[in-house]
Amino acid sequence: MLQLHFTKDTLPDSVSNDFQTLNKFSEQQFVSLTELLYQFLLEPKESERFLAQLSEFAGEHGMGACPLRGLMKSILLLPHGAMKKNLSAEQVKEDMLSLGLNEDKATHFSDQWRVHYPVLSRLAVGQTLMVNQLVDMEWKFGVTVGTSELQKAGNIFLQLKLVVRKGNTTENVYMELTLPQFYNFLHEMERAKASMDCFS
Amino acid sequence: MAPLVEEHFSSLQLLLKAPSKDIVRQLCTDSFPSRAPESRALIDNTARILSVSSSEAMQVLTALHMLSHHVVYHNLAAPEQILSIFPDTFHPNLKNLLTKILLEQSTTWRNESLANQISLPQLVDMEWRVDMKTASDSVSRMAVPTCILHMKIQDSPHVSGSSCDSSVTVELSKETLDTMLDGLGRIRDQLSAVAGK
Repeated sequence: MLQLHFTKDTLPDSVSNDFQTLNKFSEQQFVSLTELLYQFLLEPKESERFLAQLSEFAGEHGMGACPLRGLMKSILLLPHGAMKKNLSAEQVKEDMLSLGLNEDKATHFSDQWRVHYPVLSRLAVGQTLMVNQLVDMEWKFGVTVGTSELQKAGNIFLQLKLVVRKGNTTENVYMELTLPQFYNFLHEMERAKASMDCFS
Repeated sequence: MAPLVEEHFSSLQLLLKAPSKDIVRQLCTDSFPSRAPESRALIDNTARILSVSSSEAMQVLTALHMLSHHVVYHNLAAPEQILSIFPDTFHPNLKNLLTKILLEQSTTWRNESLANQISLPQLVDMEWRVDMKTASDSVSRMAVPTCILHMKIQDSPHVSGSSCDSSVTVELSKETLDTMLDGLGRIRDQLSAVAGK
């Protein structure tokens, strides 16, 4: 039973086989493949592009596209698990060696991990659940010139539109604030920011 | 706004039957809100106090309502301006009393009108909380602060019959809060620029 950092589950044999298959790639091929992999990790929405790049790679190096995709699927388990568990580059390298990857390739991969780790972890945090996330805020303010009750008025009003993400759609919330309310709102938000700044 | 006509002033003279000046003041205040002159309870009460018929009571209340709204609308602040509305034949003591009451009340009424005017749903209350996210399904260990903002918004009472409160809760990341404060700061700067002019 392999003791791995990135997962506690027992991996199917196919996965360790796939890691060992990587040893058959030349240094150049492995470097290119690693680059494609990290490009995908940094932009996880670009799955179409990733698959296209893999097919191109397969074509260039005389291998089947399907087996290559299967191979990458197994390989991806490691960086995904490592992101979840905040693994260091050393731990990533240890896992790759445990899975049978040779020293040079494991070192290269973990070096790339060290380089990309800050961006990757920010990405992972960014994917964390947010409830009713505030997406946008629009505002306008103006002066009430007159009303049906007052021929001449001159009070300032502020209108806010908040765009809130609810599931897959967004919802607009409209509201109006008087001037004292606005100053109070600003004051409270500055307090909230000060509180948040304490923690970072 | 319909103009004040002769019959309004003759209705107002019925106020001479009021037992005291405070009653007149009370009637002025009670008749100000919109649609007050149509209130059954108020009409009956006025008829009883002034010892007049219901229809006469309604006429008095309507006249008072129109007079007070006229003063507020045109923002008449000087006694002469109000006195000049009344016809020459109007009872002088009653005229002075009404002018005095109208001057006393007009600021309050003006502020009330401003507060109740048509607007988008008004922000009534807000509260915030800063939480620290320590784990999620995508990252098992983290320390990310986040802000939860809760706002209570009241739909304008003029739009829906009675005011109804709705509640909005939003979550803001640090970046979002910074951007929002940026925007609010710009509003504050523009407001100061406008105020300075």
